[in-house]
Amino acid sequence: MSTKKKRSVRTDSDSWVVIAPDTALDSGRSDDSDPCFVKLKNPATGSSSMYLFGSGDLSVHEVKAFSDDYRSWFIGQAAQRDGRLLYVTPIDPLFLLLPYIRSVAIEGKFQQVNQMVMDEEFPGCSRLLQCKQGLDCLYHVTDEKDVGGKKFHRFNNEKTLEWLQKKVQITVNTLKKNNISVGRGVKSSMYVRVKQEDATEEDYLYYAHGLISEYISDDLSKDLLKHLQLPEISSPKETEPPSKKRKLSDKPVEPGDDYSKFNSADFSRKPPKKMTAAQKNLAKTDKTGMKSLASFFSPKVKQEKN
Amino acid sequence: MDLSNFEVDNSVSCRLSSSIPDACRTEDCCLGIDEAGRGPVLGPMVYGICFCPVSRKEDLKNLKVADSKTLTEAERENLFLKLDEVKGFIGWALQILSPNTISTSMLQRAKYNLNALSHDAAIGLVQYALDSGVQLKEVFVDTVGPAEKYQEKLSQRFPGVEVTVRPKADSLFPIVSAASICAKVARDHAVKSWKFAEDLGDVDTDYGSGYPNDPKTKSWLLKYLDPVFGYPQFVRFSWSTAQTLMDSKAVAVHWDDDEEDGEKAAARKNNTSMLSYFSREKPSEVSQSRDTHRFFTERKLQSINTL
Amino acid sequence: MMSANSCVTTIQRDSLKQADNPQIHLLPCEIEHDGPAEVSKFFNPTVKERKHEKTVSFRGRGLKGQELQCPQGYTGVVLKEVQKPASDQEDRIVKVSSVFHNFTYWNLETPPTSDDGVVMAMTWPQVAEAIHGAVDV
Repeated sequence: MSTKKKRSVRTDSDSWVVIAPDTALDSGRSDDSDPCFVKLKNPATGSSSMYLFGSGDLSVHEVKAFSDDYRSWFIGQAAQRDGRLLYVTPIDPLFLLLPYIRSVAIEGKFQQVNQMVMDEEFPGCSRLLQCKQGLDCLYHVTDEKDVGGKKFHRFNNEKTLEWLQKKVQITVNTLKKNNISVGRGVKSSMYVRVKQEDATEEDYLYYAHGLISEYISDDLSKDLLKHLQLPEISSPKETEPPSKKRKLSDKPVEPGDDYSKFNSADFSRKPPKKMTAAQKNLAKTDKTGMKSLASFFSPKVKQEKN
Repeated sequence: MDLSNFEVDNSVSCRLSSSIPDACRTEDCCLGIDEAGRGPVLGPMVYGICFCPVSRKEDLKNLKVADSKTLTEAERENLFLKLDEVKGFIGWALQILSPNTISTSMLQRAKYNLNALSHDAAIGLVQYALDSGVQLKEVFVDTVGPAEKYQEKLSQRFPGVEVTVRPKADSLFPIVSAASICAKVARDHAVKSWKFAEDLGDVDTDYGSGYPNDPKTKSWLLKYLDPVFGYPQFVRFSWSTAQTLMDSKAVAVHWDDDEEDGEKAAARKNNTSMLSYFSREKPSEVSQSRDTHRFFTERKLQSINTL
Repeated sequence: MMSANSCVTTIQRDSLKQADNPQIHLLPCEIEHDGPAEVSKFFNPTVKERKHEKTVSFRGRGLKGQELQCPQGYTGVVLKEVQKPASDQEDRIVKVSSVFHNFTYWNLETPPTSDDGVVMAMTWPQVAEAIHGAVDV
């Protein structure tokens, strides 16, 4: 058989497959502005992430990519090389406002929200001031004062933790309702899945805390853990399935148990659909800004046509 | 020969067979195995068996069956009709391996090579004869691979049956010649009247012999190459002829089990370590102080910062 | 850096009315091609529907797949750039070229299960709504 061709560097896409809430694309009000993708400061990492404002900037959504290596689309009578599926899902604007509100808290002064939410690096953040869900709910995280018909706010840590705790509880309920596997048992055909009823309340709380922590800063995440009266775990990896513990190894991920009885040559050589630890690491890293770097390492990948 | 059972779905394999002669259930029988269409890049490969009571070997000889390769297509047709007329003592069965089966088996994650595929087809047919009550005593097999190993494999699989694996068996044993005629006729019919599952309109059927070195076959392969899909299922994608043409004229397609050559694997490895190095060095840009929650890693969901 | 963060990509809402409704397939391979493909000639007619899964082959490899629905209240759209920007420091405009409510995803050889990443990812919108819904007092 002929040798396989190398993968060429992917050029920038001009077509995207997206799943979005019906309400994000159309507010039903014809004079509202069009929806648009805007970069904002990620409230957990401080780095730049993509968000989508709905028509008239009335709602804000985050954008996540389902990104599996080796995927492409057929769309009608066309192929699209980029096989990602972008998910547009609602994000609570308060999460995005919170870093701004907290950052001025040290001054201990009451301020108007439009004075707090200013960012030269992310000018798009001013659109958040149009999102009703955020503005109407500032009292969840601040003390408010009404002076001359204007509202002034000051960050309140206790209130914020109460608010986050409620979010954790709502999330726990949804995890249960949707049978999402939160225990230490792993999803994978290689493992026996831990039955849902075996997961403890604490498992759910940790899991939900982890999800909420994707939207808050590190120190707030730790405060929330204390607030939930959950012991801090020395290494966050302990709550993770065994397959993730070997992240740093270059060897293919293998089950911890003895599965040697399945060791037919093919089975052990290539467990179907499993990624190597290195691939997992790569998949976890946000690669979107690294195109130039990747291309540096594969300089002559342009496919030869003849 | 009625191929309608195969033509209902020619993307999968199919077994066709005659009725089992009563005599074969009561008397000791000999059985011949041969194949047709192993080499061509187009169409199915057909495995055939023919069987009759040992006592009727002379009658079989009198039918003047000979190696199918020395016969014209018309002569083969004639001989098949003759074989079908003597239903009283000769039975046959065929296993049609569709080109799609050949492609997907040979290219499968756990590679299934053509020899193994052939052996399994032959074994399946012998088992079919046994299951149908044929009193098997002797089996004669034509082979292209090493005869001894194959003979051992078959003898072990069918204890109590005397197995003879011999190159050119189709010219030595009339029962193998008969099997080869059945197989070849089925292959000829299948190729000639191939029903393309694809919506290709009128397809030029001048494919030549189907052997890669036949200029007609080659020009047909060039004419019907699609830049995205490669070929209709009529073509064996696992043949290097098809692969080479696609490599040069079709768009590249990559699978997660593609074998990486050394250079590429090294680049990928380097790349990973370099990327993780940079992510440590540039916290504001790409690093995340915590690991992404496993809810997201398990679902292969990641935040993006550019479309 | 700063200017890159200030760029926005606008979705032309009007284009939604003209969007088509094509069949969509998510394949288990990377096809180095953006552009026309004779899907209705080569692919669609060869898809076989069995009880719980569909089968087809692509480039001689066996695929198994199944249909996936978009979550309740969600719509699938294909966005296309109206005009390629001259640089990455410019605002961009995209239109909705297609709308879909379900698509077929394909695995290489393995039967589709609820453990497949694509299927699991479909639970995200519901979880997102729990995390991000308004909290009552």
